[in-house]
Amino acid sequence: MSPLVAFGRFEVLRLVRSWRFIIITVGFPVVFYMLFLGDHTPSKAVAGTVPWRAYLMVSMCSFGALVAGLTSGGARLSAERASGWARQLRVTPIPTWSYVLTKVSASMLVILPVIILVEIVGATFGGVQLAARIWFELAAVLWVSSVPFAALGVLVGFTVNAETAFATVTGLMFVLGYFGGLFNPVSSMPSVLRSAATALPNYHHDQLGLSLIQGTALGLEHWAVLVAYTAAIALAVMMRHRKEELKGTA
Amino acid sequence: MMRMDSENDGLPQPRTLPSAPPPPLVAPVEPVPALSFRDVSHRYRSHPALDRLTVEILRGQTVALLGPNGAGKSTAIALVLGLISAQEGSVEVLGTDPREAVRQGRVGAMLQTGAGSGLPPNVRVATVLRLVQRLYPSPTPLDETVRSAGIGHLLDRQTDRLSGGQAQLVRFAVAIAGNPELLVLDEPTAAMDVAGQRAFWAMIRQFAQEGRTTVFATHHLREADEIADRVVVVNHGHVVADGPGSSIKAKIAGRRIRFSCSMPDAVLLDSLEGVTDVDLQGTHVWLNSLDSDATVRDLVRHAVQFEDLEVVGPDLQDAYVALTERRPSIERSSTS
Repeated sequence: MSPLVAFGRFEVLRLVRSWRFIIITVGFPVVFYMLFLGDHTPSKAVAGTVPWRAYLMVSMCSFGALVAGLTSGGARLSAERASGWARQLRVTPIPTWSYVLTKVSASMLVILPVIILVEIVGATFGGVQLAARIWFELAAVLWVSSVPFAALGVLVGFTVNAETAFATVTGLMFVLGYFGGLFNPVSSMPSVLRSAATALPNYHHDQLGLSLIQGTALGLEHWAVLVAYTAAIALAVMMRHRKEELKGTA
Repeated sequence: MMRMDSENDGLPQPRTLPSAPPPPLVAPVEPVPALSFRDVSHRYRSHPALDRLTVEILRGQTVALLGPNGAGKSTAIALVLGLISAQEGSVEVLGTDPREAVRQGRVGAMLQTGAGSGLPPNVRVATVLRLVQRLYPSPTPLDETVRSAGIGHLLDRQTDRLSGGQAQLVRFAVAIAGNPELLVLDEPTAAMDVAGQRAFWAMIRQFAQEGRTTVFATHHLREADEIADRVVVVNHGHVVADGPGSSIKAKIAGRRIRFSCSMPDAVLLDSLEGVTDVDLQGTHVWLNSLDSDATVRDLVRHAVQFEDLEVVGPDLQDAYVALTERRPSIERSSTS
């Protein structure tokens, strides 16, 4: 087994063996979806041609990706930094970039089943009906475009300390979720909030999913915003790392 | 080891006998030092950590970096491990750049972790060791590492259920799991009780017998003296004394006697009983003595006209400062 594969395997196994992590990551989006489903009449349509139930499902997939990304990086990574393990890894042969990349990849691996699970809940309890191809594409597109959330979790883990990490993750989860229009349609927001929503990555993530359901083209601007966020977060992680190195605490 | 042949290709290796067997890991024939610092300076913000530090450590040596807290030991170690880059001067590890040596898996380290365990949370000790093994190109067999560190009973334990001392042993196992040529330890016994420390140093001795280079930072003179072949005393970021433990001990152990004297006679003072070092600055006299009572009696016997005599206890901090102050008078003993 090559070192990087061994490290990746170690990370993923550690993630899926953590019960608290699984409950939060899988529980939040599914429970929220169920709650929202009970709250609205099924015939209600928002955002043009998307039925409410399908709309909700996409939002909860997007929320699930956000939650999984933040929780798998966030608090766990700052706990590893606090324990000194992150530093210990830096004196092993695996390069630093691979530590960051493995963290992001492990988060991505966790995000995929969360998206699929929300889809399954949508198809069963939610009564969402889509062509087989769309189900598949929806999962694929929402998954691939989740990279900025995985990266954001890693950035949080690199930035905040172990005590505040959990609060930061929870805060970001709900602030981004709410203002990104995952709990309430952006179209029903006041105009100030609406322009704020369009600046957030999960709004664009959500929009990609909705486009698929509407059968419209995947807007290039959504991809562009998500790529820009990923690049900005990657840069922030690098700067953060550099700063720690200068202080000698990396 | 095969690794040495394949990975040292970039190094100047004299090969006079093409048919000679590959050099064994335990007794390297090439004169490449394990570690070399040349005029290394490093500052954090406004605080200077290293100030033109120059030191060379040969392979197979066990060397202590001795100095008080804040002397620059941890900075020196961070440089050896490539955790930071030297701002000035050059650092070489096993004949190459520190980061390259680490990347080649030739260096193992036990870092200071403060309150942390130094291990990933929520995972079995055995899982961590197996991972670390897989990160290195030619690791030590797991059971051997476990035996060396004496942690057989901890393998099934979760990392967050270890005591401080147990975590330290596991971190030692992590440090040696990759079969390193150079082992670097930063204050490794900080969380251990006396019995734990003794057992730990016995393991290090065993490890050193296999011909590897071990460098450890400590602020305990006794530890440095008992374990190391050579003690490099660092204070204010540079080497203030360097030599076998016994000579360092003579310099900084014992007591310091200070007094004023209008016409001090260096030769006489040096001949007094117990005196290991004499330092004169005008009318101020500092004597290092291994037996302050005898020295004072001798002072009286020789009718030395001293005033304001004080005997200062074996405070290491003082001793370091003393070494630093007297730096010009200390000749660096050549390195073995």
